[in-house]
Order: sequence, then structure tokens, then C-alpha cells
Amino acid sequence: MTKTILEVIDLKKHFTHRKGLFSFFKEQQQSIPAVDGASFYLKENETLGLVGESGCGKTTIGRTILRLEKPTSGKIIFDGKDITSIPTDQLRQLRSQMQMIFQDLDAALNPKMHVRDILSEAITVHHRISDAEVDKRISDLLEQVKLKKSKLSSFPHELSGGEKRRVSVARVLSVGAKFIVADEPTSALDVSIQAQVVNLLRQLQNQIGLSYLFISHDLRVVELISHKVAVMYLGKIVEIGLSDRIASKARHPYTHILWSSLLEKQSKETEQKAKSVRAGRWGVFDFERPTAGCRFAPRCPVYESRGKPTICTDAASEPRLKDLGGAHQVACHFPL
Amino acid sequence: MRTPPILKIEDLRTYFYSRSKQAFIRSVDGVSLEMAKGETLGIVGESGSGKSITALSILGLISAGPGVISGKIGFQSDRIQKDLLQDLGDFVKLTTRDGKIMEVTKDVVGWERNAERTMSEVRGKEIAMTFQNPKSSFNPFTSVGKQITEAIRLHTSIKTEQGAKERALAWLDRVKIDSPRLRFDNYPYGLSGGMCQRAMIAMALASEPSFLIADEPTTGLDATIQSKIVDLLVELKSELGITTMLISHDISIISRLSDSLAVMYGGTVFECGPAKQILSTGSESKHPYTSALLTSIPSAENIKKKGYLQAIEGDVLDTINIPEGCRFYSRCNRVTEKIRDKCARQEPDLREIEKGHKLRCWLYFD
Repeated sequence: MTKTILEVIDLKKHFTHRKGLFSFFKEQQQSIPAVDGASFYLKENETLGLVGESGCGKTTIGRTILRLEKPTSGKIIFDGKDITSIPTDQLRQLRSQMQMIFQDLDAALNPKMHVRDILSEAITVHHRISDAEVDKRISDLLEQVKLKKSKLSSFPHELSGGEKRRVSVARVLSVGAKFIVADEPTSALDVSIQAQVVNLLRQLQNQIGLSYLFISHDLRVVELISHKVAVMYLGKIVEIGLSDRIASKARHPYTHILWSSLLEKQSKETEQKAKSVRAGRWGVFDFERPTAGCRFAPRCPVYESRGKPTICTDAASEPRLKDLGGAHQVACHFPL
Repeated sequence: MRTPPILKIEDLRTYFYSRSKQAFIRSVDGVSLEMAKGETLGIVGESGSGKSITALSILGLISAGPGVISGKIGFQSDRIQKDLLQDLGDFVKLTTRDGKIMEVTKDVVGWERNAERTMSEVRGKEIAMTFQNPKSSFNPFTSVGKQITEAIRLHTSIKTEQGAKERALAWLDRVKIDSPRLRFDNYPYGLSGGMCQRAMIAMALASEPSFLIADEPTTGLDATIQSKIVDLLVELKSELGITTMLISHDISIISRLSDSLAVMYGGTVFECGPAKQILSTGSESKHPYTSALLTSIPSAENIKKKGYLQAIEGDVLDTINIPEGCRFYSRCNRVTEKIRDKCARQEPDLREIEKGHKLRCWLYFD
């Protein structure tokens, strides 16, 4: 049986928002629950897709797992070791095993460094090896990510979007990471280039046995690349399960809406089918003051059609993830 | 009799000059398109294929040099009939060698003054555009409502502040912005991406243009919001019957909204015709680039099989060094031995292979 590489237990990350001049008084600080109790695990050589609307806390989960943010509470267990509060000097060692592909590559790659320097810096930070070995390692990496050698002396701004992605993938691999958080690696790319990047990520997984936490809001790509998919809504995971089950037999209304909005866009025939599910009104939601009880209730078609049952908005009974069998969990009082 | 097309672009060329490379970037290199009244034309293509530059050229919004250097854009609405690039020849002098443009001398100031004169009664009034990034195309220092009001007062017969405000509110309501009165006084940063896009559409349509250019109306939005914007566009299309040029690289949106389709690559149109005909999976006569684009999207069967995606290898054409022959040759996977020579040497022209369906590929020419 494959080993569990990452386990996250009830992870919370709250940001404080200061308002006004006297914000140092506790009362005036506002807490924003970006991630509010997420639990999941990831096996070796597997991909967990994380989907949800922008602002629901996907990226924050990724950053917190890598300890780029300090978790408010909860536990992160990586490779059998609790890393929730290990000191910073041990973090560096850890980071050679877990890495992140950042969303905004123009910000993530130093604009004043050549591609060669970007890669060699990453290698030498983590491993003490000779220059010749660094060169060899770099040329191996280029082969792995299928990047031309001539690009080594280019600056990031001279590269196309797909090439920049490849450089960032190479940088992540250069330190020998096993677990990679890929934050929107295909957004802002053309479909043709997107296909190249997706193929590359999957080939690497097969070759070196990487595990990915794949954050994206492109549902089709997530469905294709992931073994398991977790759906997030306002800081909570509302449904988690095998990717084909999430896509075709979703039990949470939100997941259902997400996937049907994809169909609806595609053709007129599926429109009616999707509309019947999407009868609910889409109010504006307030992240800073989530509604009591189920967070999705104000937008939920099931809540509406069942005549607004009180259990959905009862503060004491926020739905928890319930096991439905077959590694499928859903947090809803009335699963579809 | 067929009604004359509302927009007819003939051989449009828009070049830029790269000082570091000392060469022309041929962003739009001979685009010809035709749009009938009331239809929606979808333009697809990878980034850098010249979609947006074509749109900006129509509106005369290219300011970097040399910009638009040749072509004709005939615009014919109920109110106005004119060539949007009229007298362009007076300001541009082209030096050609072996059929290639080597040097361009353009009286930029004169041309811009001329273009402003031509466009002043067209831009905003007749042709409106929603830009790719709504958040950065609004003025960050003025409230959204004020900006829409300003557009209305400038472009329509409503000149009073109060009347324009009423109309702006009506449009904000029409694009389904919740509580428009409240949002009217919001600044762009206070609106979400989807709402900004709606406000942008409201601003473009508030002056009741006869032609709308929607540049990537759904990129950067969430799936749920995307489908809402598409819903809105469908609704507006059936209500207003406005002619729309829809630029996107999301083929699913194009297939939902467009009547006809143009596929662009490397600054030229590779294929154009009825959208249904081109996008249907059964049709055999498709440009290799179009079919490659379609197969690189994860399809339902592909997801089930967990197969690899069929990517188009290589990168988008570098429009500085356009090769001899077909622009897609180096990435094409359907070159046969019979036509290989032709593909590498001679650029195919845009030919009609079926009624209304034109494409640019030696594979289909005998």
C-alpha cells in the first residue's frame, strides 16, 4: 500500500484585519478566516485537486502547508513528521522536499537573473555541490522539462508563458522535492500550451513519483490530472472524493453547480439541465461575516427548495464532512 | 438580396517596430474579415495571434508606431457609412523588396489627427468595446457610475446629469448588478471581477452602439461567474440584436455564442466560416491548427481515459521572423509528403472550400 505523504488535520489560518488608527486595541481587530478547519490527506504519487472560487482560501491552504504562513491552529503532518511548529532552521531542510509552483510567474522569477542563475541558486541553497555538478544537474533538469539549452542565458521577460512555467517546474525539481503545491499552474496559458504543461506535470509524476496538491479553478484540467478532488467554499472543504465521482456524482449542491456551470457554457442542450439545479439566487456573500450554520445556505438551491430548513442556518450545527463510503466525504445536511 | 456587411476588413496590416531587434513585429498581417448585421463573430487563437490588435485597429486605438499601415475597414451601420481607415495612404509610405515590407515611413501625428476626426463619431457611439481587463480599464479615481454617466452624456442625446444617471442605473440593473443604486457610487476596486465585467458591458452598451467588440469577456473569472457572464451575453444578444465580435481563447464560450468563427494564427486568419460547421466533431474539412486547438482541450473521453492531452508542440509563431511558406508548418502534424514542399515554400491563400467556409491550407487545395 502506498504511504501517506501529507496529512492535514483541522487546519485553520485566520488573518487579522486592522481597521483605523487605534487598531492595536484588540476589539477593533477583525479576524478573517481564510482557511477554517480543513482536513485531508494525500498519498504518495497521487494528485489532489483543490477547486473553488477565487477568494475561498485555496492558495492559503497551499501556502500554510509549506509553512510560508504560520497556521493559526491544526496539524500538518508531512512524511510522518509533525511540521506544524518546527523552528525555522529545520524548515530549510524540509523545503528541499516540499516546494511550490507559484501562480504569478512574473513575480516568482527574479527579473534580473538569468534562467541559469535562477536554477543554480535553488540548487546551491539546498545542496553543497561543485560547479560542474551544478551544470550537469541543470542540463538534466532542462531535459526533464523539455526546455531548450539556449534559454539558459535569457531573462524571464524574454520567455513565453509556457517556458516560464517550465523554468519554475525545473526550479522546483532542482532541489529534489517530492511533494509539490502547484498553484494555478495553467491559468493565463493558451489551451495548447496548457496541454503541454499538464502533460509535463503528469510525465514527471510517472517518472519520479511526485505528489501534487494541484490548485486550480479550471475544472476540466483538475478532473483530468487529479486522483482525488477537494472542493472548497469560503475556507471550508465541502466535498472530497475520487475525481470522477466528484465530477459526475457530486453530492454537495455547490460542487454540482460548479460542474454544471461548465456544461452550461459549452452548449445549449445542457443548459436546461443545468438551469434546473441552478434555481437558487446568487446573493453577495460576505467573507468577513459568514452566515451562521452552513456557509453555502444563502446561495444554495437545496436550501431554497426545501423551504429554508432551520438546521442549515443554525449556528450550532455547521455541517461536518460525513463519510459516504468509497473515500467520498461531503459536508451537507441534505446531500443530493 | 443579401444585406451589405456591417463591417468589412480587407487586408489589414498592423505592425510594430522592435528597436532592440531592429525588425517589424507583424502582429496583424493581412487580415480580411466580413461580418453581417446581427451576427456574432467569434475570434479564437493563441495569445499573440493578433486577435486584440485587430480589434484595437478597428477602433483606431493603436498608438505605438508604426501601427496600422495598410488595409480597409468598411463600416456600414444605419447611421454611418465610411471607411474607418480612409486616407491612410496619404500618411504612409511603404518601401518593399521582394514583396516584403522593408521600411515604413508614416506621418504618425497627421494620421492620428485624421483618425481622430474619422473615429470621433464612431468610437463609443457606433462601435463600443469591452476591454480584456475590466479592473484596469476603469479609471481608478472615479466612481463606476460617474464613468458610465460620462460615456452616456458624451455619446448620446442625453446631456443632463440627471437623465444620464437614470439611464446608467437602468443599464446597471439590466446587466444584473445587485442594488445598482449602491454600486453606482462604488470605485472600481470595490467591485469584484465579475461585477466589473458587468459594469464594463453596461458602459459599452449604454450608448446603444450598433457594433460591440468584446475582448476576452470571461478570462480571469471563476467558472460560476463565467457562465453568468455568458448567460448575460446570450440574453443581451437576443434582446438587442447587436452585432458582436467576440474575442476569446475559450472555445466553449465561442461555440455557445457565435454564429460564425474565425481562427487566427500568427497575424492571419487561418479559417473562417459558420461556427457550427467548423466546431462540429464530425466535420472532416478542418484546418490542422483548428483541430489541434480543439484536441488540446481536455475532452470528456480523455478525462475518462486519463490519457495525455494532445498538445501542439512548439511555441506560438514569432511574428518578427515569419517563415516562408505556411506559418503553421513547423508545428503542423498533418503535413503529407505530397504537399511538404509547398507548405515549406509557399504561403497558402484563404480559399473557399465549401459555401461560406474558407481556410488556408494546402491540404484541401488541389
